[in-house]
Amino acid sequence: MKTIGETLMSFRFSLLSLAMAGALFGLKAPAQVLVIANPSVIAVDVSKSDLRDVFTGASSSFKGAAQVTPVLLKQGAVNEDFLDLYVGKSDSAFRATWRSLLFSGQGVLPKTLGSDAAVVEYVSHTPGAIGYIAKNSPHEGVKTLIVR
Amino acid sequence: MTRSRIAVALLVLGCLLARPSVQAQSLDDLNLEVHGYATQGFIYTTQNNWNTMNTSDGSAAWTEAVLNISARPQPRLRVGVQGRYLLLGYLTNAITLDWAQADYKLNERFGFRAGKVKTPIGLLNETQDIDPAQLWVLLPQSIYALANRNSTLAHYGGVLYGTLPLGEAFGELQYRGYGGQRVLSSDDAVFQTVRDKGITLPNGATGPMYGGTLRWQTPLRGLMVGASEDSEHTSGAAMLGALSGTLKATHFYEPYFYGIYEVKKLMVGGEYTRQALQKTTSFVGGPTIFIPKDQRAWYMMASYKLLQRLTGGIYYSDSLDRQLPVGPARYQKDWALSARYDLNTFLYLKTEQHWIDGTELGYSTSDNAVLLPDTRMTAFKIGVSF
Repeated sequence: MKTIGETLMSFRFSLLSLAMAGALFGLKAPAQVLVIANPSVIAVDVSKSDLRDVFTGASSSFKGAAQVTPVLLKQGAVNEDFLDLYVGKSDSAFRATWRSLLFSGQGVLPKTLGSDAAVVEYVSHTPGAIGYIAKNSPHEGVKTLIVR
Repeated sequence: MTRSRIAVALLVLGCLLARPSVQAQSLDDLNLEVHGYATQGFIYTTQNNWNTMNTSDGSAAWTEAVLNISARPQPRLRVGVQGRYLLLGYLTNAITLDWAQADYKLNERFGFRAGKVKTPIGLLNETQDIDPAQLWVLLPQSIYALANRNSTLAHYGGVLYGTLPLGEAFGELQYRGYGGQRVLSSDDAVFQTVRDKGITLPNGATGPMYGGTLRWQTPLRGLMVGASEDSEHTSGAAMLGALSGTLKATHFYEPYFYGIYEVKKLMVGGEYTRQALQKTTSFVGGPTIFIPKDQRAWYMMASYKLLQRLTGGIYYSDSLDRQLPVGPARYQKDWALSARYDLNTFLYLKTEQHWIDGTELGYSTSDNAVLLPDTRMTAFKIGVSF
């Protein structure tokens, strides 16, 4: 038979355990995403909001700069990380946004490529192109952008 | 038909304007893309038949298929065309042109599109027919009634658009101005109320229209508030048995006020509009029929992403036509509970339960001998998009 004090202690321990578990599961690994651009893109860094606007079709240029064209990765952890960290949408919500633009005549779906290598290849040869890949992927022929 | 040809001609013109660079480009460089979607709906109602479907027995007479071809021959120029097949009860069973346009965006502050273009009014008008982009099986019917959809979706003419930055502290202002010609075909579902009175419009109805929209993206990330004003003046030849005459709607102005807040997994939005007009149908040697309307409509909606692939939502939609006699036909109050499950990137399922009081919207007297004051509706939809 537990005393009231022991019961309270046990309850507090349970709460602490729950909070720790939540914190552990809630922790997000540092971004393993690299934002890359064609060397013709003048910017060396980009704000999160500019990046979000370009990748959601709200804008087609970084503030005061020339036109940029977003390129998407088809699927996978890097794609999900990018959308979560920089766009603030899940993959399905993100694609719903683009479908709204496409089927209402307000935009054309960005090119979607199947691998980091394909994204690097496309971005390196397409003026104004901007994409994202895994941090450790080779990325010759493109420049990397710092996200502020 | 003539206007469809004009739209196609505009598209060709857009392509010709882009020709110097097109000649040196491969098909891939044109960024030519083909997309589409198809949906199949199923509706069951406890009482009244809805939108000319035999829904009290359960009906699947609601099918849509859309094909979209778009190209971006130059970074600032887009051309595209979209066609749609829609089966909805016996309101419509046809292939129509959604839009066909050339769009030139000079910069973020200014762009324009011309041809048959989507009409930018209200919060959801431009996207109300794009099922894959919506959580709901049915958008709030007080403002986005399914049968009235074609009457506001698109027009022949143009749209000017742009975004004006207001500085870090004040967000940005998006504007849209539009004008042109509204063209409604003789079999448009919006004429069901006059068809119920035995009146047909052999050539449909047309008329000038114009308006504008301002949307303020506030400094609070995810919060947008906006207002639109739409002005239209349509008319057409009418037949009542052997009598011929005309149907004219008064020149009306329709304001919309709306707001939406989207943060992480939550979306909350709402909209209000008022439409006041009078349709007058007069026949040579026959009666003159007046159909007055003063509808005030609004809705509030909220959705939440419950799981990675599952989103749930709820809305309340309210409409009242003050020109109708007191009774259930004067209003409609609709509570809806909705869920959408994305099976994968392409395929999704939706379900929705409605508790509807009043019979103002979505009912035809031609398939309801007696309209009962309330109806419960269960809806399912499966959709695929690519």
